[in-house]
Amino acid sequence: MADSILFVMTKPPYGFEEFFAGARASLAMLASGLIGRSTLLLTGDGTLNAVATQDPSAIKMPSNIEAINDLADFEGEVYCIADDLKSRVGEVEVIEGVKLISWDKAIELVGEHQMITTF
Amino acid sequence: MAKTMVIHLRTGSMMSMDSNVAVKLARAALEKGYNVRLFGYGEGITVIKEGQDPKRFPNVGKEIGELVTQGLTVVVCETCCAARGIHRGEEVKGTNIGSLTNHLSKFVKEGDKMITIAR
Repeated sequence: MADSILFVMTKPPYGFEEFFAGARASLAMLASGLIGRSTLLLTGDGTLNAVATQDPSAIKMPSNIEAINDLADFEGEVYCIADDLKSRVGEVEVIEGVKLISWDKAIELVGEHQMITTF
Repeated sequence: MAKTMVIHLRTGSMMSMDSNVAVKLARAALEKGYNVRLFGYGEGITVIKEGQDPKRFPNVGKEIGELVTQGLTVVVCETCCAARGIHRGEEVKGTNIGSLTNHLSKFVKEGDKMITIAR
């Protein structure tokens, strides 16, 4: 019996559907009322999903910002590895509510969740 | 009490051996006495399509149909099915078209272990 799930996000935005699909799956866990904690952990290229200035309207893709905001409405947590993001795009603003963390904190998150999946 | 294994499959029935790995895992787990739940998401929904007829590769749909009779529970994402033009009535007998909120969340809740198979 599990009450928590961690979604490890590894794919960049918009060239793939993984982030949107994973965020929606995470939201569904919370919306079901069955799972108490459903958390996103953005790693590697997946950290690019946290960039605040992204604007997918030009390519007519669903917005990852909206997906993150929807999660926040259900008190879902979103964490992003700061070093991974910085190594790709330097110092940039991240979407409100996204917490920048170290790999040490990421390992703590892994330990705190009963189920883990990757997108 | 038997433990429950959740297989989260996100690759399709062809072009890789991932779905075959999922089938082999499910079969082995059933033989070990596990309850096994398979949830297909994204391309993973294609495994439940009735009428698969690969000429030179394993027939995943047929194998899943056989495992359902041995206790395997199979549900795939309805939204993903609709996006790919697969509708109720086209699924392998005993498999189901369901949702993240109603089914994957339940599987996670019931699960002792979850394995994600994806590219």
